[in-house]
Amino acid sequence: MVRKVGEIVTDQLSKRFGKIKAVNRVDIVVPQGSVFGLLGPNGAGKSTTTRLLCTLLKPSFGTAQVGEFDIIENPVKVREITGVLPEEGSHTLYPSMSAYQNLEYFAKLYDVPDEEIPGRIEELLTFMELWERKNDRAGELSTGNRQRLALCRALLHKPKVLLLDEPTSALDPVAAKRVRELILSLAKKYKQTFFINSHNLSEVQRICDRIAIIDKGQILLTGTTAELREQLHAKQEYMIRVTGDIEKAKSIAESQHFVESVKVGVDSLIVTIDNPFENNSQLMQGLLAAGVNIIEFAEEEASLEDLYLEVLNGGGD
Amino acid sequence: MARSKSMIVALADIRMALKLRMVKMGLVVSAAFGPLMTIVLVAGPSLVFTGPELEMIASFLVPMAAAMLAMFSVIPATMISANALVGEREQSTLEPLLCTPMTDRELLWGKTLSSVLICSAILVLGTLASTIGIAAILLGSGKQLIVFPDLPGLFMLAVVAPIVLFAVVSLMIIISGRVQRVYEAYQMSGFIIMIFMIPMMAPIVSMQSGAADPSAIWMWNFVSFLLAVVIAVITWAVAIKQFNRDKMVSLV
Repeated sequence: MVRKVGEIVTDQLSKRFGKIKAVNRVDIVVPQGSVFGLLGPNGAGKSTTTRLLCTLLKPSFGTAQVGEFDIIENPVKVREITGVLPEEGSHTLYPSMSAYQNLEYFAKLYDVPDEEIPGRIEELLTFMELWERKNDRAGELSTGNRQRLALCRALLHKPKVLLLDEPTSALDPVAAKRVRELILSLAKKYKQTFFINSHNLSEVQRICDRIAIIDKGQILLTGTTAELREQLHAKQEYMIRVTGDIEKAKSIAESQHFVESVKVGVDSLIVTIDNPFENNSQLMQGLLAAGVNIIEFAEEEASLEDLYLEVLNGGGD
Repeated sequence: MARSKSMIVALADIRMALKLRMVKMGLVVSAAFGPLMTIVLVAGPSLVFTGPELEMIASFLVPMAAAMLAMFSVIPATMISANALVGEREQSTLEPLLCTPMTDRELLWGKTLSSVLICSAILVLGTLASTIGIAAILLGSGKQLIVFPDLPGLFMLAVVAPIVLFAVVSLMIIISGRVQRVYEAYQMSGFIIMIFMIPMMAPIVSMQSGAADPSAIWMWNFVSFLLAVVIAVITWAVAIKQFNRDKMVSLV
């Protein structure tokens, strides 16, 4: 077997609960310093995959490597280098402890040197705008603030790998933006690797280098957004700006067998075509041959949401 | 490092347990009721009876009081350990704790220590308070001094009680993988404490010619000791073997 290189490498990772295959032969490679997004509907196996990677669950079959450690052979070492934001992270804090005490407790358990603990906590709480509330009990904080506190806890020991389950859920747009920026800066500056479970497609599209779509425990598709589109041979929209007779341009576009729809704007057409990687040049040639004067031929970015829905609706290979 | 992480967990558990009204009440009642009952049982008859009559009464009340004091000292372990394990899961704080680089043994030892530390303190302080209280009342009222605890009682407090304490906590570890609510855990662990009923009843059942037979009391104390050892060893071995993060997390 060729050893795959990455900060997180899963090899046929599987987990059964009785007869249910929660995670089924998942193969994922996440390079160091990248931000990886795992997308899927509820019950698809996202959280179980995260729990397997942070050694909370033992695989029924297959294994995974986090950093240089195997999750079955070296679970303690894996936990040392990972920071975890569990599902519903805002509910996983000790409600009777203060924000500061929550972080102090975990800093000790993660072996953060005693002399560094106060500074580390202050830095994180300040960044998350919680320093003023450091003495408030976690149970008294709003859901959003508790989510920020749970994120601080995951970052406390400067882990190499961060496993985050819905990191910006319950955050207001400003806080969510700060967290997204933090993730990107940590990945870039410290080469920390992020594995994110999310329902928030626009967020994943904005921050993730690579994406996998999981359903019924199986990875349906993995790659960058562009690669997903390529793998799907998805329909693609093109914006074609023309001068002259736009109705003529419309009828020529419509006459092509691979064109699915044509919408007419003031000076442009929005054309949707099948199998764009083969057919876009044919479309352009057809228009030029008919004497249409094209001044712009641009690909409209397919949203991740379109791709996601297409995969889940059975459009994947 | 291993010990210190367990201690960090134990101290946090104690802090959190002390913030729960029910646990706090339980601790206060156990810590106060044990010594109070002991003082009343041992010093009370001395104020009324004298001579051979007092000796006869003291011969079964003193060992009985020691077993009762031991029982009251161990009762809080059921509450603390239930909150430390099942309670953590109930309030969703177990998952992040299980994600820390602690071994299963460190975690279990930490969860055990929280009960052991508190109950040991109640046991030692309760015994001291009872001894001093009884002596103060008897000497203050010019009555004959009764030494509490006697030797079988000391054996019960210093040897049997700590073993029962471990048995309670290890049973709780086993239970924690099977129940979802703290109150279910309380109910299931309570029966181990019934071990103390043996030494409590022993002085009465071993009465011979109006007084408790010391050799029978020793024998029943030893039976309690053996029973406690067997239960503690079995439950601890099962707890260590069966404790698994899978089960704990799957129940969340």
